[in-house]
Amino acid sequence: MSVKRRLGGDPEIILAERRYEVISEILRAALVKGAKKWTMTDMLDKVFLHKVLGIPVFIVLMWATFQFTFVVSAPFMSIIEVVIGWIGGLFEAIPNEVLRSFFVDGIFGGLGFVMVFVAPIFFMFFALSILEDSGYLARAAFVMDRLMFKLGLHGRSFIPMLLGFGCNLPAIMATRSIEGEKDRLITILVNPLMSCSARLPVYVLVAGAFWGSTMYAGTAIWGMYLLGIVLAILMALLFRRTILKGEPAPFIMELPLYKVPTFHGSVIHMWERGVVFLKKAGTYLLAGAIILWFLSSFPWGAEQSYTYMLGHVLEPVFRPLGFDWRLSASLIFAFMAKEIVVEALGVIYAMAGETAIGAALAASITPVSGLAFMAFVLIYVPCLATIGVIKQETGSWKWVGVTVLYELILAYIVGLMIVGVGSAMGFS
Amino acid sequence: MKVVYTVALIGNPNVGKSVIFNNLVPGARQHVGNWPGKTVEKKEGRFHHKGVEFKLVDLPGCYSLTARAVDELIARDFIVEEKPDVVVDIVDASNIERNLYLTLLLLELEAKVVVALNMYDIAEEKGYKIDVKKLSEQLGVPVVPTVATRRQGMEELKDVILRVAEEAPRKPRIDYGKEIEEAIASLSEIIHRDEALAGMYPVRWLAIKLLEGDEGALEKIKGSECENELRAAIS
Repeated sequence: MSVKRRLGGDPEIILAERRYEVISEILRAALVKGAKKWTMTDMLDKVFLHKVLGIPVFIVLMWATFQFTFVVSAPFMSIIEVVIGWIGGLFEAIPNEVLRSFFVDGIFGGLGFVMVFVAPIFFMFFALSILEDSGYLARAAFVMDRLMFKLGLHGRSFIPMLLGFGCNLPAIMATRSIEGEKDRLITILVNPLMSCSARLPVYVLVAGAFWGSTMYAGTAIWGMYLLGIVLAILMALLFRRTILKGEPAPFIMELPLYKVPTFHGSVIHMWERGVVFLKKAGTYLLAGAIILWFLSSFPWGAEQSYTYMLGHVLEPVFRPLGFDWRLSASLIFAFMAKEIVVEALGVIYAMAGETAIGAALAASITPVSGLAFMAFVLIYVPCLATIGVIKQETGSWKWVGVTVLYELILAYIVGLMIVGVGSAMGFS
Repeated sequence: MKVVYTVALIGNPNVGKSVIFNNLVPGARQHVGNWPGKTVEKKEGRFHHKGVEFKLVDLPGCYSLTARAVDELIARDFIVEEKPDVVVDIVDASNIERNLYLTLLLLELEAKVVVALNMYDIAEEKGYKIDVKKLSEQLGVPVVPTVATRRQGMEELKDVILRVAEEAPRKPRIDYGKEIEEAIASLSEIIHRDEALAGMYPVRWLAIKLLEGDEGALEKIKGSECENELRAAIS
């Protein structure tokens, strides 16, 4: 009989087991695991990982993040707006009317208007970088995973979910670290509900228009991120109970030590992520501005343009939510990238000679509809790039279809609920 | 001719290996290149201690030494082929259980191992009391506690490296239990029949790897007069 067969079993496994036995024997003689000293990490974990307090603490820190983002970025937004407005003003001198409109209304009214939102995007990434570099974000993921696990969901999905705050693309790719195929699929399907940074300009615009001078603007933005998380969990539960039944795998997570984040490190992180938006501005959003300007100027001027017609065709669909034709049209274009909502509104208002877009927006819809609009933008259809990555990672158009369909329906229902509850409470 | 001892640094990822490397060799005297034919970075440098010159080679961080991962194979081949005079195994004292696995693999390789028990402060914070002398006795190799980030234990480490470089190999043997030892013994016996093969590689290590069905080990016995016999034994 061969030497190997006499051992009975895979020698590689038997040897590995023996090595660990030997290590235990050695350590039994050489190591005493005494009473653990009380470290800073233990102390902080007592609070941040607390069974009851953990989630409220996470929610409060998130609120602080978005309050910070909104308040701190406001003056910077004004500065960028003034600078872009000044440069745009130089193009007013172009004699050719069409060419002038292209630059003033299309490029500066559309693309220039989105660029104002560089400020909140960078400040949000700065705040998130501080939370991440300090080691807190891993705890937030742990706390949320514990909740998800108790609900019967996979307990290691929340890191990809948190990545979704930046961009859903890398977030969906990060689901590759999830072992179970069904668990992974669920995480992919609900990931677009995590509010990515492309949606932030829409929130900042709408919340700023209605509640700009109060604490409520930051709170409304925070509410959207929270809504995204809650809906993601609810949808995950729905998928788990219906089309993707199964048992979740147990979860173990290695948590990093807490560190004092450095200003330098957080700035670098902010830049690495924020620069993605700048690249997008030079490609997608530039193309978007050109297309939007064309559709909003032709065939017969702003009041009889393709955008105007499209908006009016769609308006009845969105009438129950209180969106006007401009918002309805912007939603159609924004399937390319969600910032395009803001860009489209910029172009449409610029064509009408309107520069104070926030004020104009506040005059044309109710605050409740504004909130419903924010929620709608959060939920309805993933952007083009996200659709591509969902196809790539699930390997089938079927799951893309499922995602688009459920998100559209969910967006409409949530929008109706916001309007319904808002009206019932006496807001109109 | 002046003697230059070769010292290899090895350890699991995130145990402070590069901090120790930087402590031993100042940045300006480090040489960074690639391992031949690989995209894996190779860092080298020289230092002196008590008038003796040492060449320090940083091996890739790894948890084990299989033939399956490029990093692990590079580290293992370096130890087997180049036979460094000392292998410094950096162990994270606060994760000692997992880290000692690599130490045992190095002992199998019959390398002249020095264990640097790094992050000793964090282990103490965790409440670990490590009996360094006992650990050294059990493993059969010198153990030096270090806190690389504070440069603690570096002089002691250099002293021990020098001592081990100059002394004869100790070849401590870890007992893996009767059944496995018997299997290793019968394979070793066959390997010893090919003197050239037995001279080239540590016999006990080759026997263990063959038993595990390691691709790299099967490659090494190719063409040996006892290849067929060995293959039959592990079939």
